[in-house]
Amino acid sequence: MRIVVCICQVPDIASVVTVVDGRIDLSRLSRVMNPYDEYAVEEAVRLKELLPGSEVTVMTATEETGRDLLRKALAMGADRAFELLSPSLEDSFQIASVLSGAIRERYADALPDLVLCGRESFDHQNAAVPAMLAGMLGIAFTGPVTAISASGEIVEFERETESGIECLQAAYPLVVSAEKGLNIPRKTGIRQVMEARKKPIETISVSQPPASLLRLQGVVPVSAEKNCRFATNTRELAGLLLRDGCIPKGEE
Amino acid sequence: MGQYFLVYLELRNGAIAKSSIDVWNRFQELAACIDDRIYGLAAGPAAEGAFDVLQGNGTIYHAAESRSGSASDVAVCAMLEELARRHGVTGIALASTAMGRRVAPLLSGRLRAALLSGCRAFGGPDEACSRFIHSGAVIASYMSASAITVFLQGRELASPDFCAAERPQIEIFDAAPYLDAGIDVLFRTVMHSSQGRDIAEASVIVAGGRGMGSPEAFGLLEELAALFGGSVGASRSAVDEGWRPHGEQIGQTGKRVAPDLYIACGISGALQHLAGIAAARIVVAVNSDPDAPIFGVADYGIVGDVRIVLPGLIAAFRDLLIKK
Repeated sequence: MRIVVCICQVPDIASVVTVVDGRIDLSRLSRVMNPYDEYAVEEAVRLKELLPGSEVTVMTATEETGRDLLRKALAMGADRAFELLSPSLEDSFQIASVLSGAIRERYADALPDLVLCGRESFDHQNAAVPAMLAGMLGIAFTGPVTAISASGEIVEFERETESGIECLQAAYPLVVSAEKGLNIPRKTGIRQVMEARKKPIETISVSQPPASLLRLQGVVPVSAEKNCRFATNTRELAGLLLRDGCIPKGEE
Repeated sequence: MGQYFLVYLELRNGAIAKSSIDVWNRFQELAACIDDRIYGLAAGPAAEGAFDVLQGNGTIYHAAESRSGSASDVAVCAMLEELARRHGVTGIALASTAMGRRVAPLLSGRLRAALLSGCRAFGGPDEACSRFIHSGAVIASYMSASAITVFLQGRELASPDFCAAERPQIEIFDAAPYLDAGIDVLFRTVMHSSQGRDIAEASVIVAGGRGMGSPEAFGLLEELAALFGGSVGASRSAVDEGWRPHGEQIGQTGKRVAPDLYIACGISGALQHLAGIAAARIVVAVNSDPDAPIFGVADYGIVGDVRIVLPGLIAAFRDLLIKK
């Protein structure tokens, strides 16, 4: 099976995102692979181990170099990597366009069987790229899945809905996004990191992505801090909540 | 000339989802001008009188025909595209449900229409949409730069109190041409959950963390939540312990919730958890550690062991709610 995994880098959760001169300042932050993308890479490598002859290609669309990120995916077990350098990636539409363009170019004869993405990126949290990518490639989209079972011809998967877990099946090719619970990503050791250095990373420069559909008007930092009013006993707490109108009217 | 909007009305077991009604009402409020018009699309079987809950002007297209009880994402997307073209709409809105979160970006990509999701202030396609990014650390505002804008709206905004004497017209929409797109996933079965509702849609959430100590202790949270018609959620550690299902996890690798009232029990308040509750309105914390970070983001707090505090709190609410 031919699998493409689309991944990206995000600020480490422990780092504090700041706003300087009306812009988000990420210059002093450490970056990590988007955690949902780790589930996607892990699942791709597991499928490769299960279905001999499979190949896992990772791609990242990025404004600056994404080689560290790609090396991590290669160390996890991916076979080859593409760094898609683009001058402007302002919204999900541009990112999906760059990814779909590269996939169409690399797989001109036949699209890959499976395109895996993380559910959403930790930074912009739009959860839009996977579905847009499916639309642009003209193939099916599963939504975020919590379980996959794949054979050579068909994929069965599970996804969460309001009423429970839906079980579905689909034929290839399709786009799948990885939800937490899909797997537990493997840790990589020195040996895998060394082996990854021998695997190919190719850089493709995208000169002109299509125009962004969104215009950023501004950003403001938010403080989550509140002044907590402590109650000394449960009766006082219940009384305060009722008095201050904190209990919404019940939905009959 | 007036503005035309299109709202997707999700049918669940024959009834319109509450979150879709909220979106419909929000657009009705927005369509204050006499020339503005709202269209709706509902796909799947509807119970007798299912549309009676909708007020205001406009036309609702009902595509009753579908293969498996509910229409597929691709079919809904194609029908919305057709109606948007037919009526020249500038805004298409979906509720942020599991299906809405799949269809909205699909539609956005196909129509090359800007996608604005999770707006905390809403003024329609011509105004900026502000939303949380970076796990709630930043609010960014965006303007649509395309002719059509797709909105994906959840509980970030309070339910509108829209009321009108008018009733929309219901028209039958022939779904047949849209059903076989050839690139659909096939529905097999659904394993029903105990709560029967997504916590992201709940107005009250009572959530438990590692401090609950055992899966059995979550019974107390269910009891408390039931008093307010609320839902039970869990922190990542409670889910990783296997005490609660993944679908109930709140936080960065779980659901982002926006209830009116959030009661955190035995949850210390790790950054990953706080990222999921940035949009909650009132936060109440119950924790045995007075220095737990959760108190720093809470409006009300009580220090104590959850297994002692919760039975007392349940009794106090029962008592006070009866008196009220």
